[in-house]
Amino acid sequence: MKFIVLAPEDDNHTAPIKWAMEKAGQKVVCWAGLSWTDEGQSSLLIKDDDTMILGGHSVDPGDVIWVRRPEQPVPNPKVSEADKKFAGLEYRCFYNSIAYFLDTLPVWCINSYSAARVIIQKAVQIQLARKCGLKTPATLMSNHPATVREFFARKDARTICKGFTPHVWQKEGQMSVAITETFELTSGQLPSDEVLTYAPAIYQDRVPKEYDTRMVLMGNQIYSYALKNKKQALDWRQDAGLGHVTAELVPTPPDVEKGVLEFARRSGVCFGSLDFGVDAQGQWWFLEINEQGQFLWIDQFNRDARLLEKFCAFVTAPQGSTLPLEARQDLFPSLAEYEELLKHEQVPPVGKPRQEDPFLSMEA
Amino acid sequence: MNDNRVLTRRGARELSEQEVNAVQGAFQRHTLTPCFIDKKQQLLNGDQTIGECGP
Repeated sequence: MKFIVLAPEDDNHTAPIKWAMEKAGQKVVCWAGLSWTDEGQSSLLIKDDDTMILGGHSVDPGDVIWVRRPEQPVPNPKVSEADKKFAGLEYRCFYNSIAYFLDTLPVWCINSYSAARVIIQKAVQIQLARKCGLKTPATLMSNHPATVREFFARKDARTICKGFTPHVWQKEGQMSVAITETFELTSGQLPSDEVLTYAPAIYQDRVPKEYDTRMVLMGNQIYSYALKNKKQALDWRQDAGLGHVTAELVPTPPDVEKGVLEFARRSGVCFGSLDFGVDAQGQWWFLEINEQGQFLWIDQFNRDARLLEKFCAFVTAPQGSTLPLEARQDLFPSLAEYEELLKHEQVPPVGKPRQEDPFLSMEA
Repeated sequence: MNDNRVLTRRGARELSEQEVNAVQGAFQRHTLTPCFIDKKQQLLNGDQTIGECGP
């Protein structure tokens, strides 16, 4: 078995996990994604024995494929201007064929590409969470002004607004930025109808949360961490960057665990980071799942979490194993060890994005 | 702010240059968080990814 990661080697989660797996004697290869370069080339031969080659590496039965964060397909820039659009579409279609075809091979994909493409849609995940018995706040996704105003007119409701995607606006020639964040909004603060059509948004009942919980799903194992934010901010993410958030392991309520495992079964994902808000009554409200969300930061906030080791144990577990990941996590070195090497430049640093950042805009 | 900005931009959290520096300084310790400013990664280091057909 080899572990194939669809991401650049210097991706900030790929690099430490590749290092840890190799330290434990596992074979790891990375494929950054489809491109015209030698290492980005791929072939898919469909006949009696299907064959897939990713950057010179064959995909073999029993391999484990972590579809971490492949880069967008890159056509050869030397192609004629007249052929650029066509070549770009061909690259995209071929990449899709590769990614979806992985699901048909005798390999284990984390996650199945077809399952991941569906479940990252926020409407789908909220609806499925609800069907699996998890509590979800009433949610409206809309660009229809009258419907938005009607949602805000509900009696006694407090409403938040958030985007479908994160985004950063950087002032031209400056370092100051604006970052998308969940924010509370009242009906009186709603802008004109015209503005509500500029971009669709997610409007949702504000969960009266006492604290947030970040949950990491690995197969049938669930690890939940209470994120206590000293500032009690509605959105903890930026405060986490400033170290204002603590991550404490908390037990997952049995009904929530049951709902999450049912969610995983029905969606087809075996790995992901889930966010919950926990209210004063101890009720857990499902907010979202990011199937390839960041998770190693929890090891930095809580050294006992050992999610790096657990993840390595998860992806190398023998088929059908029911052993808890803790039973095998000692086979792998820790993130702290990796960071120590990183500090002394004994492992390569994490890299810079090689492509245009889709979440960044410049503004005057 | 211009009248033609999206609602989500209006609700975005503004970070001054000083705050950006503070966050980036913090990232020297916390390089893997699901936040959006990361000097090493030139800004984005978030939970969501843009897949082939969209985020």
